[in-house]
Amino acid sequence: MRSKNVVYLILILGLLSVLNLTYAQDAPEVSEKGKEVYEESCAHCHGTEGRGDGSAAENLLPKPRDFTRGLYKIRSTESGQLPTDQDLFDIITEGMPGSSMPGWETSLSANDRWEVVAYIKTFYDGFKESETPPRQISLEGKIPYSEESVEIGKGLYTQFACFECHGQVGRGDGTSAPTLQDEWGFQSWPANLAQGWNFRGGNDIDDIYKRFIGGIAGSAMPMFEDPAFGLTIEQSIRYNELDNKVEMTEAEEEEYNQLDEKMGNAFEILDLMAEGSANEEQKQSYATAMKAFYEKSWHLANYVKSLSSEKRPEPAIGKNVLRSQYTESDLPQMMDAAWNTLDSSYFPLVGQIIIEPRQFNPTIDSVNAKSFYNDTEVAFLFTWDDRTNNTEVEENEDTGKTFEDAIAIQFPVKIPKGPTAEKPYFLWGGRKAVYLWQWKASAVDKITELTAKGINNAEEQEVQGNIEAKGEYTDGQYRLWVKRTLKTDDKKDLQLEPGVFVPIAFSAWDGANGDVGTKRVISSWYSFVLEPVPSSRRFIYPPLVALLSFGLLVGLREFVRQRNT
Amino acid sequence: MKTKMLTCLTLLLACGFGLFVFADSHEKEEDMNKLVFSKEKYKTMAVKSGGKISGVVKFDGEVPEMKKLEITKDKAVCGVTDKFDEALVVGEGNVLKNTIVYLMDISQGKDFDKEAKPELDQKNCRFNPHVQIIPVGTALTVLNNDKATHNVHIFGTSKNNTSVNKQQTKNRKKMRLTGAKGAEGPVEVKCDIHGWMKAWVAYVPHPYFAVTNEKGEFTLEDVPPGEYKLGYWHEACGTNNKEPVTVTVAAGGEVKQDFTLKLKEAK
Ligand code: HEC
Ligand code: HEC
Repeated sequence: MRSKNVVYLILILGLLSVLNLTYAQDAPEVSEKGKEVYEESCAHCHGTEGRGDGSAAENLLPKPRDFTRGLYKIRSTESGQLPTDQDLFDIITEGMPGSSMPGWETSLSANDRWEVVAYIKTFYDGFKESETPPRQISLEGKIPYSEESVEIGKGLYTQFACFECHGQVGRGDGTSAPTLQDEWGFQSWPANLAQGWNFRGGNDIDDIYKRFIGGIAGSAMPMFEDPAFGLTIEQSIRYNELDNKVEMTEAEEEEYNQLDEKMGNAFEILDLMAEGSANEEQKQSYATAMKAFYEKSWHLANYVKSLSSEKRPEPAIGKNVLRSQYTESDLPQMMDAAWNTLDSSYFPLVGQIIIEPRQFNPTIDSVNAKSFYNDTEVAFLFTWDDRTNNTEVEENEDTGKTFEDAIAIQFPVKIPKGPTAEKPYFLWGGRKAVYLWQWKASAVDKITELTAKGINNAEEQEVQGNIEAKGEYTDGQYRLWVKRTLKTDDKKDLQLEPGVFVPIAFSAWDGANGDVGTKRVISSWYSFVLEPVPSSRRFIYPPLVALLSFGLLVGLREFVRQRNT
Repeated sequence: MKTKMLTCLTLLLACGFGLFVFADSHEKEEDMNKLVFSKEKYKTMAVKSGGKISGVVKFDGEVPEMKKLEITKDKAVCGVTDKFDEALVVGEGNVLKNTIVYLMDISQGKDFDKEAKPELDQKNCRFNPHVQIIPVGTALTVLNNDKATHNVHIFGTSKNNTSVNKQQTKNRKKMRLTGAKGAEGPVEVKCDIHGWMKAWVAYVPHPYFAVTNEKGEFTLEDVPPGEYKLGYWHEACGTNNKEPVTVTVAAGGEVKQDFTLKLKEAK
């Protein structure tokens, strides 16, 4: 009897394993290699089952893609279509700038990348079920980039109401920006169009155009339907002009009504097309209207392209180091045109992830700086983009707790002698103290001098003097003007002298992104110099300084990257 | 001996089933918020001397005060009326509006009212109605009665990828939107530009669906005589997918069935 029981047990186990096997065979074809690569490199973010819920996902925003929904942002295919394999391969190769999705060009072989493409497709049945290959977006009729096209695109930017989310000049600061969410219910910031290097899908004109025509699936960014459908570009511009008039003459009124009617008819036809019940003539006028729409989209893409430099600017090292320019006269005020004569130096920022609480999802990309000095004073103009102007701590049910925006500019108290001398620890000093200028969005004309010996160990200086500031927030950008005497009587202050390279670093807080205290964005040490007056050029530019700060930057970046992955 | 075999077989089946359930547990959790339809494809037929099912849906629990929505932009257009979070609208006598009540397992019956044109209105930056049903494959006409730009974002479900998200500028008074291909059941509709604007549309394969009115009432008419499972769905209270109510409809008869709903348990 007992032995029989054992037999049954074995039988059961055997059958069970068969059951198990058949279950596995029912699942979509699995490439062993693809699975292996996925579990090794992707699962900790995207989750073993592809639900976007890997162990690292909790701290990330935007969240890693949930592959089970088949929603892909970056596609070369039309709205509502799945991406092509090539799209997936490209995004895996290049990564998604401005998010934590890394590029795998160097760390995975092309073959492995193809295998993993096949594997992630198994998470969503739609890939198996679609009979026809996805329809590609046609790039026919592309309008080449020109000043003229950019100008037309600028008008369309308003007419298409892009500013609602992206703001008047495109810095992602539209009035709808703070409440946007993706389809998974997570906060979703509209792109800063002035920082094209952070576009997820690249900032070639073709890329931008594809995002308009194909949409960014799963995000809040809508598909565009021509708001003046059926009108030519000239007519659209005219319509907009009339629409914004407070009062129209009788003739204008008539013109407006005619355009309005033309549009109404075109929209009617659009609906008929969607239902598949348009006649030949209607199909014809639909095609004409669509052609105008594609043209408008190209102009719009050209305009977006014009808002940003081609690549991320070079950081302020080597030949781009921040050089304060000498002037004999008074130093320019915040809004003076003199500032426009200088190029700015670019200081990239990264999330502070060394000390708790950390910032894994930075929203401030960088600080830009310019400077002038004269015989007694130095003035700086700092600018940085931030989508929202937060001047106080606020508790909001929908958007969570927000804090005050702020910035701190950091120098050593004593300038290290020679390029190899040790600088204070870059995170607000340590054994060696740092000297800081702290500015907060709630008190725009006030700057506070601090001395710090560690990120949680800063003190306001007793003597606050010889320093002035003015700040302002417009169109998604902070502008901060600071002026100080070159020399002061305070031993805790930095003393400046032409020709000497001075270490400089930044911390910034975006209150809407939860930045407060150590949760902030930071830079490593860079340097600036009061450029000596040309006639008395006695100083040789020490390339070592540049090399060193470059090394530090690379080191920091690497560190951040490793922390992130 | 036989009984032993049987026990083993049952055990085996149970184990197999357990495995299956285990593998599918994720899916199941999501299913709790879906509508249930018959596996068979719905067939239309003429219904003679059909019956009627009606009732009232009530809310059980402390009725929270309706949250007033903060109007964060376009105040000149959106701010003229007060707006409230409509996830839970309870009327006098604890009656519950916006509950979908429907037959879960019907596979044959009357046809849709072909004349009906489902509409979603946007006025003063509020969607109206908050919950509606749309026959699968029928276009939704979205009206913009505001001098403001909206975008109509119809979410996808996990079963179909194609969410729809289209802008409707102030020039476009009327826009027809066909739902996502293969869309089924309730999906959220949102205007991202005005983040407080939310509504639900439920794509349904047969006409035996009703949405409760201000008095919490629903009526299903022309139901072919027979026994049916009666289900409900509510945005804040969830579904009765686990324990549907069975009703028996006699030819020409009327069945009364009320429901009392509680808030979904917070996750
Ligand atoms: C550090 C976390 C992380 C790792 C590791 C990672 N990803 Fe991602 N991935 C993301 C995030 C975050 C996004 C979404 C970014 C966004 O939505 O802007 C994403 C998006 C994607 C997308 C969607 C692209 C689109 O068009 O929507 C694909 C495909 C993808 N990842 C594939 C992979 C593969 C394959 C691997 C492994 C080789 C991998 N990822 C590893 C974080 C990660
Ligand atoms: C309802 C809000 C909204 C409107 C209106 C809107 N966008 Fe966006 N846009 C977004 C969001 C959100 C993102 C970020 C998407 C993501 O990566 O999740 C975005 C991203 C982008 C990107 C970056 C794409 C990439 O590859 O990362 C571009 C370019 C862009 N939008 C241009 C436009 C233009 C031009 C218009 C007007 C025609 C417009 N947007 C209208 C919300 C909006």
